[in-house]
Amino acid sequence: MLEIKGLSKQYGQAVALQDVSFEVNQGEIVALLGANGSGKTTTINSICNLIEIDSGDINFEGLSIQKDRRYLAEIGAVLGGSRNINWRLTASQNARYFAALKGYQSKQIRSNIAKLEQQLGLDKYANLEVLKLSTGNKQKASLLCALAYSPKLLLLDEPTLGLDFGTVNELQDIIKQQSNSIGQGYLITSHDMSFIDKICQKVIVIDKGKLIFNGSIEALKSKLFTYRLRFIAPNLNDEQAKSAVLQHCLGDYHYQQDQHVLNIQYKQPEQVLGLLAWLHSSCVELTDLSMTKLTMEDAYQSLTARNQTK
Amino acid sequence: MNWWLLYKNEVNLQLFEMRQYWFETVASLIAICGLFIALFYGIKSFGFDGQESPSLDGLVFGFLLWAFASAAYMTVTGTIVDDTQKGYIEQLFINPKGFTSLLFVKAMVDLLSSLIFITLLAYLTMWLTGNWIEINFPLFYLALLLAAPSLIGLGLIIGGFALVFKRVDTLAQLLSLALMGLVALDGLPFGPLTFLPFTSGVSLAKAWALNQAEATVFDVLIVLANSIFYLLIGCLVFKFFERMAKRKNLIGQY
Repeated sequence: MLEIKGLSKQYGQAVALQDVSFEVNQGEIVALLGANGSGKTTTINSICNLIEIDSGDINFEGLSIQKDRRYLAEIGAVLGGSRNINWRLTASQNARYFAALKGYQSKQIRSNIAKLEQQLGLDKYANLEVLKLSTGNKQKASLLCALAYSPKLLLLDEPTLGLDFGTVNELQDIIKQQSNSIGQGYLITSHDMSFIDKICQKVIVIDKGKLIFNGSIEALKSKLFTYRLRFIAPNLNDEQAKSAVLQHCLGDYHYQQDQHVLNIQYKQPEQVLGLLAWLHSSCVELTDLSMTKLTMEDAYQSLTARNQTK
Repeated sequence: MNWWLLYKNEVNLQLFEMRQYWFETVASLIAICGLFIALFYGIKSFGFDGQESPSLDGLVFGFLLWAFASAAYMTVTGTIVDDTQKGYIEQLFINPKGFTSLLFVKAMVDLLSSLIFITLLAYLTMWLTGNWIEINFPLFYLALLLAAPSLIGLGLIIGGFALVFKRVDTLAQLLSLALMGLVALDGLPFGPLTFLPFTSGVSLAKAWALNQAEATVFDVLIVLANSIFYLLIGCLVFKFFERMAKRKNLIGQY
């Protein structure tokens, strides 16, 4: 359905995107991940035709979006959070306005809006202008506008921003249901990794404008580290610490040293047992020692960190 | 996607906002009437009396023209500045007809509502001042609608600047003042003033609606040519700035 081919964009000397290619198919929920400034929003804005790209192409259902603007009727977008709708109107007035802007106005659309309003819990505030709603409800109102006319592709830039756990769960259910029942495709950027983990089938990771991962969520997980060992050894110099890690840690790991603080990320607990034994037998003085399981977000950050080390 | 739906949608939006913010709607009508009455009595106190009623007629008429011209020119600039500040201008760009087309639709809807507004304003000010003038409203509307594209062109030029530079208040206010001068000038018969935006439309409106005079086909063609010229210039300038904004990722950033 959506095909990004060799997308590149520069702002002056700064590279925003460099030869990025990926696809979003019908009914597929795809996460677009990356640190702040990595190029996620530039990608989304390029798909929305809000940015002139330098090279590459974007095809929607086989047609280049640069040649035909009609595809915009099939796209729904939540950009930059809840500020993306008219705060002087109610949620449903907004939904009707933006649906009509895309060329949709019918009883079916109205009943769809009413149904979604209920699902999102906005029916209780039907008569309130968006500016009088809470942050979470403003975000829901933006989602209502994007979902109202059942577009083929939804672009959601940080859709969970400001939402409580309950609402995030409801949002997950709505996205899954829409994707399954009407084959809607989704491209979602989010920092909420558990949200991504629960609903996305595919993950794209961008770092400094370059695509560094494109695959299933399982494939991503298999590339990520699971644990982190962190210790502070004031009497260990850089060389000693480096050589100890290289000698005693097993398998694939990522090692980072900041003065006397050592961080090692790895997949299996037994990978660092040798290093711990060496620390003990060498009577290395430690002022802090911790072993933690990485959250999905930390793990994902280690992927970008590892890419930078390369 | 049909154009009718786009028009209907913008009319609905205006009605929603006018109803929800009725106080603002009423206050703006009162403010503009107040401004006019202050102007009217101010000028009258300088020595105009009943014998010089054509001057006062001209003032009422000129004020109506200025109110229309300001509304026509502000519609495009206002949309870009307001909707950027409100934070949803990107959503207006993501429509299959394109942003410029949407601006035209918004402008047309605003023009029609400003025609209703100035009709109300005309009767209100004439009633308040007791200075009743005979205006042929259908011909007045026709002349204004023929000349309005030149003002939309000016709005597009300022709108283009607003898209890239965001704050264009000074420029917009200067142009708003310049409009006061433009509605006082006569662009007809053909002469150097004809080349200024809207001036030929002003003369046509005066001739048709106020003096009940007949205008030649040549005069109408001059008004049309002036409108088309400034509209084209406006479109070209706006497209240039739109492209620049897209190149530099400036759309929506405020």
